[in-house]
Amino acid sequence: MSHDHDHTHELPAPAPMTPDDAGSQALAEALHSSFAIVKVVMGLMVLAFFSSGFFTVGPQEKAVILRFGRPVGEGEKILLNSGWHWSYPYPIDEVVKIPITEIQKVNSTVGWYATTAEQELSGEELPAGVSLNPAVDGYAITADRNIIHTRATLYYHIENPIHFVFDFESASNTVQNALNNALLYTAAHFNVDDVLTRDVAGFRDAVLQRVSDLTEQEQIGIVIDQCEVQSIPPRQLQDVFSQVTSARENRNKILNDARSYENQVLSQAGAQASSVTNAAAADRARYVQSITAEAKRFSDLLPKYESNPSLFAQVTLVQAMGPILTNVQDKIFLPQRADGKPRELRLMLNREPPKPQAAPSNP
Amino acid sequence: MKRNAMTLVIGAVLIVIFALLLFVFQVRQSEVAVVTTFGKPTRNLTEPGAYCKWPWPVEKVYKFDQRVQNFEDRFSQNLTADNNNLLVMVYVGWKITDAKAFFPKFAGGSTLAAQSMLESMLRSAKSAVVGKHPLADFVNADAKQLKFDAIENEIEQAVQSQLQTNNCGIGIAFLGIKKLGLPENVTQTVFQRMTSERQILISRFRFEGEAEAQKIKAAADRQAAETIANADAAATRIRGEGEAEAARVLPVFQQNPELENFLLRISALQQSLNQRATLIFDERTPPFDLFQHLPTNAPSR
Repeated sequence: MSHDHDHTHELPAPAPMTPDDAGSQALAEALHSSFAIVKVVMGLMVLAFFSSGFFTVGPQEKAVILRFGRPVGEGEKILLNSGWHWSYPYPIDEVVKIPITEIQKVNSTVGWYATTAEQELSGEELPAGVSLNPAVDGYAITADRNIIHTRATLYYHIENPIHFVFDFESASNTVQNALNNALLYTAAHFNVDDVLTRDVAGFRDAVLQRVSDLTEQEQIGIVIDQCEVQSIPPRQLQDVFSQVTSARENRNKILNDARSYENQVLSQAGAQASSVTNAAAADRARYVQSITAEAKRFSDLLPKYESNPSLFAQVTLVQAMGPILTNVQDKIFLPQRADGKPRELRLMLNREPPKPQAAPSNP
Repeated sequence: MKRNAMTLVIGAVLIVIFALLLFVFQVRQSEVAVVTTFGKPTRNLTEPGAYCKWPWPVEKVYKFDQRVQNFEDRFSQNLTADNNNLLVMVYVGWKITDAKAFFPKFAGGSTLAAQSMLESMLRSAKSAVVGKHPLADFVNADAKQLKFDAIENEIEQAVQSQLQTNNCGIGIAFLGIKKLGLPENVTQTVFQRMTSERQILISRFRFEGEAEAQKIKAAADRQAAETIANADAAATRIRGEGEAEAARVLPVFQQNPELENFLLRISALQQSLNQRATLIFDERTPPFDLFQHLPTNAPSR
């Protein structure tokens, strides 16, 4: 516009050059200088036009320059790292920035009953009805045709931004659908008890495996970092499921009790067995020793006995009677009746005698 | 004259820019384009870059997003081969592969129109494929019998071939089942079945636990009894060994059995009269026979 404006003034300018008019000369000079200013301004505008191509790429992102719609560079060089960069202004180049290092996440609630995060936090979820409405409540069907609720959160980051941005209209939706599919697929070949209690980690790993297979196959250009899976029995059946859990706990307790009984009985038996055999060994040693000692005594006594058997017998007997009579608690001496007739004795035995009592002898 | 040259250059640059705007257009990395000549699609551009064209009204450019777009069909009820009602929802990643074919098919190349066509194709493909499979192909603990992937592939093939015969310029990048469900009244029966299964499990845990505990206890008792019996047997054997050892000493006693007999009797006497015994004797028993010869007031015999 300013250009055209200058031209219109330029054309009549040569005409007043001929007359030596100080006023018109001053006008011409003024026009000259204003034209110079316009040129400088134009130059600055061109400069500004080209310098508008500077842009920064942040630490968490990469950028791609599209020149006439085609990415500039080959392979890895397509991606510009963080820092200052320059591109031609808009109609030629276009800068597309892509968040790359930051971890992204998607949730799958396709197998969860109708609820929201707020309801869940405040504990004001709608009560469970007698059945599940397929339009509202999501669930997964397990291999043994049980219904469970399961949901997952997947964390990933972008590895190949070219695929992620230029090949998918909404790549995060695609990832989410892969996660949905993985939950259903995995639930379809796990039994209900495996999903809920027996093999929770195995279920999660299988979901993760399926998601990474799908995303790899679909070439979304992401790397999966982590996957969290939560599974519960239908709320309608929570009581009966918790009863199963407590029955299982109870069974384990009974079995543990039985095992501790087993340990106790076996160690007691072992102790008893060793005491029995030890006692036998002790008996044996004692018996052998006593009989050996006896034999030695016998051999010692034999010559004495053989020299005078009856004297020996009497002496030995009397020797023996001494300690015997000392040990005996009650000693009753019955002298012979004067008439030489045998005496009659009556014994009265008490059932629990503090000490044996002898009946007084007949006079 | 210098000024005129400058003006000419600037004018020329402006004309070039104007001409470029008229004759050149860009196709971005994520796009495909079709060029129509007098309203008829003539050129198909699938690679990104800058292209030339005749200005309107001769040629006109229509650009389309060629990225994979997500589409989900309705959660609709289908009958499986074994007469179960199963609700299935699939998701599809589709993209425009051939803009020249795509453009005239749908009014102005509308993706909405394309999606509604896709939906009807999906509906028929889904019900046909689901009808060929029993429920056991959808859910099965045996990985070999589970045909989840096969079902997805069959639906994809069916839609793909329909798209090809209709020459829509659309390709399917992937297709998967997004949601499986049962009719609402069926879930109630499933709940009842699950409850009874749980109850069976509860009673099984209870009785299994008790039976198992009984078994463990009985085995422990038996093993303990066995250990003790073995120990008793060992004890008897040990004592027998002792007796056998003692038997080697016995010949010593045979030198004079009478003495041995006598000694044994004495020792038996000692042992039997050791405690709590009451001994009644008269003066004939030694050593009390000494009393016989005591002077008494009794008349002597």
